[in-house]
Amino acid sequence: MRLHQRSATVPVTIVAGASAIGVLAIALLGPLLAPHSPTEPVAAPYTGPGPGHLLGSDSLGRDVLSRTLRGGFALLSASTLACLASTAAGATVGILAALAGGRHHWWEGLLMRPLDAIAAIPPIITLLLVLSAFPTRSGVIIAGAVTGTPLAARVALASTKPLLARSHVEIARARGESPSWIALHELAPIAGAPIIADTGLRFIAAFYLVTAAGFLGIDLGGTDWGTLLVEALPGVALQPLAMIVPLLLIATLAISVNLLVDRLVQGSTRLLG
Amino acid sequence: MSRLRLGRQVAGRIVSALIMLCLLSVVVYAGVDALPGDPVTSRLGGTVSPDQIAEAQARLGLDRPLPERYSDWATGLLGGDLGTSATGAPVAGVVGDRLRNTAQLVAVTLALLVPSSLLLGVALGKRAGTRSDFLGTTLLLLTSAIPEFVMTGLLVLILAVGLGWLPAVSLVPAGDSPLAHPTALVLPVLALLLAGLAYSSRIIRAATATAERSPHVEFLRLNGISERVVVRQAILPAVLPTAVQVWLVSAAVLLGGTVLVEKILAYPGVGPVLVDAVRTGDLPVVQALAMIFGATTLAAMMLADLTGSVLDPRRSRS
Repeated sequence: MRLHQRSATVPVTIVAGASAIGVLAIALLGPLLAPHSPTEPVAAPYTGPGPGHLLGSDSLGRDVLSRTLRGGFALLSASTLACLASTAAGATVGILAALAGGRHHWWEGLLMRPLDAIAAIPPIITLLLVLSAFPTRSGVIIAGAVTGTPLAARVALASTKPLLARSHVEIARARGESPSWIALHELAPIAGAPIIADTGLRFIAAFYLVTAAGFLGIDLGGTDWGTLLVEALPGVALQPLAMIVPLLLIATLAISVNLLVDRLVQGSTRLLG
Repeated sequence: MSRLRLGRQVAGRIVSALIMLCLLSVVVYAGVDALPGDPVTSRLGGTVSPDQIAEAQARLGLDRPLPERYSDWATGLLGGDLGTSATGAPVAGVVGDRLRNTAQLVAVTLALLVPSSLLLGVALGKRAGTRSDFLGTTLLLLTSAIPEFVMTGLLVLILAVGLGWLPAVSLVPAGDSPLAHPTALVLPVLALLLAGLAYSSRIIRAATATAERSPHVEFLRLNGISERVVVRQAILPAVLPTAVQVWLVSAAVLLGGTVLVEKILAYPGVGPVLVDAVRTGDLPVVQALAMIFGATTLAAMMLADLTGSVLDPRRSRS
C-alpha cells in the first residue's frame, strides 16, 4: 500500500509542477502575446469563438483571449507581494516571540495575542474592512499580508521554540552572541524549511484573497481573472468560454500549488522530526 | 476530571475569550484607522475641495481624536448598539434580517455537513491505505483547493446553465425566510457544503485511521465482534471529540465563505450588504459586521477548545 502511494507521488509532483509553471507562463508572458487591447470592442457582444477572437467576445464585445492574457500578471504579483510580506512579518514576530518568550514567558503572549485577534476575523472580512478605508491595489496587498501574518508567525514560533534548547544555540548564547545573531545564524537555517513550506500556503491564501477582491468587483476595473469571472456570470449561457477560461486558470493554479505544498510540507516535517 | 477543575477551565476560557474580544475591537477599529487612507479622502479626493472633504469627515465623526471615537463605539457595542451607518440609518436595522438569513444558510449547511463528513471520513478512514481511500482523499484535496466562489461559479455553470435544474440566482421575496424557498437555498448550501466537506472529512478520516490501528479495536475484531458494533462502540467514541471540534471550526470558516457565495447568487444575506458598504465606504456597517463575524469565530473556537477538553477520553482520565 505504501509503495502504491509513493509511486503515485512522482507523477503528481511533475503534473502539478508543470501546470503551475504553465499558468505562471500565461500570466507573465500573456500581456506580450495579447492580440488586442483589453478595452477595445472586436466583435458583437457575446460572439462565439472565431478567427480574430479565438475565445469569443464578452458583454461589451471585447476580446476574451486578450483580457485573459492580460489578467494574470497583476493578480500574481499582488499575491506574491502579500505572501512575501506576511511570511517576513510572521517569521520576525514568531522568532522574536520564541527568543523573548524564552526569557520571560509573558513576552510570547504579548506578541502573539494581538495576532490571534486578527486571525479571528475571516480573511475575506479583513479584506473588506481594509478596502472600505483604502480601496486600492495596495489595500488588497495590505489585507493579504495582514491576514497571512498570524499563521506565519505561529509556524515560525512552533518551529523555532524547540530549537532553543539545542546545544548549538546554548553554546552561542554562552559565547555572548546577540539575540539577532542567534536568530539569523543558529535558528533561521533550521527553522527555514517549515517556514518556506508555509510560504506556499500563504501564497495560496493570498491568491484566493486577491482573486476574491477582483471577483467582488471592488478592485479597480482591471482584468484580473476574478473580475473576468464575475463579468462573465450574467452572460454565461451565451458565452460560457468567457467564464470557463478564467475559472480553469484559477482552479489549475490553486490545485497545483496546493498539491506541491502538500508534498513540501510532508518533506519538511520529515526533516525536522 | 473533577467538576471543580472543569469549572475553573470553563471560567478561564471565557475570560480569555473576553480579552480576545477586546483585542478584536481594537484591531477592527484602530487598525482601520492606522491604514494610509480613510473612506472619505480615498473616494472623494481629487474630485471635491478640501473643505468639502473636511465637512464629510466631520459628518462621519472622523475629525474627533481616535481614543474618543473608539470609546464611544465600544460603549455602544456593549449596550447592543451597532452604530450608525454612513447613510444615517442605524446599522442594526440595515443588517438585522440579513443576518438571520445568513445564519439560516450556515445552519442548513452545517446540518448537512455533520452527517456527510462523518460518513465520508469514517468510510475512508476504515479503508486507509487502499486504492479507494487514495482516490477519495485525492478528490477531497482537489475540492479543498477550489475557492468557494470558484466552486459557486462551477455549480452555476453545471446545475443552472448546463442542466437548467436550478435558478442561477437565489431570489427570495423581501421579508420572506429563505427556508420557505428551498430552491433558492440549494446552490448556496451546495457550494458551502462542498468547500467545507473536504476539510472536515480529511481530518475525520485521519482520526478514524488512527482509531482503526488501536489495540482496543484489534481486540474487539479478534473476538469476532461484528463490524457495526466495533464502529459504534470503539471507533465513533474515539473520532467524535475531534469531529465536534472540526465542525465548530468549519462553522467559523463557512461563515466567512457566505459573503462571496451570497454575493454571487444574490442570496439575501449580509454578503451583498457588506460588499455594497465596501463600495460606498460605509465603514460603520463593515466594522459592525467584522465584529459580529469575529465574535462568532471566537465563540466557535472557545467551544471547540472546551469540547476538546470535556470529550477527550485521554484528557479526562488524567
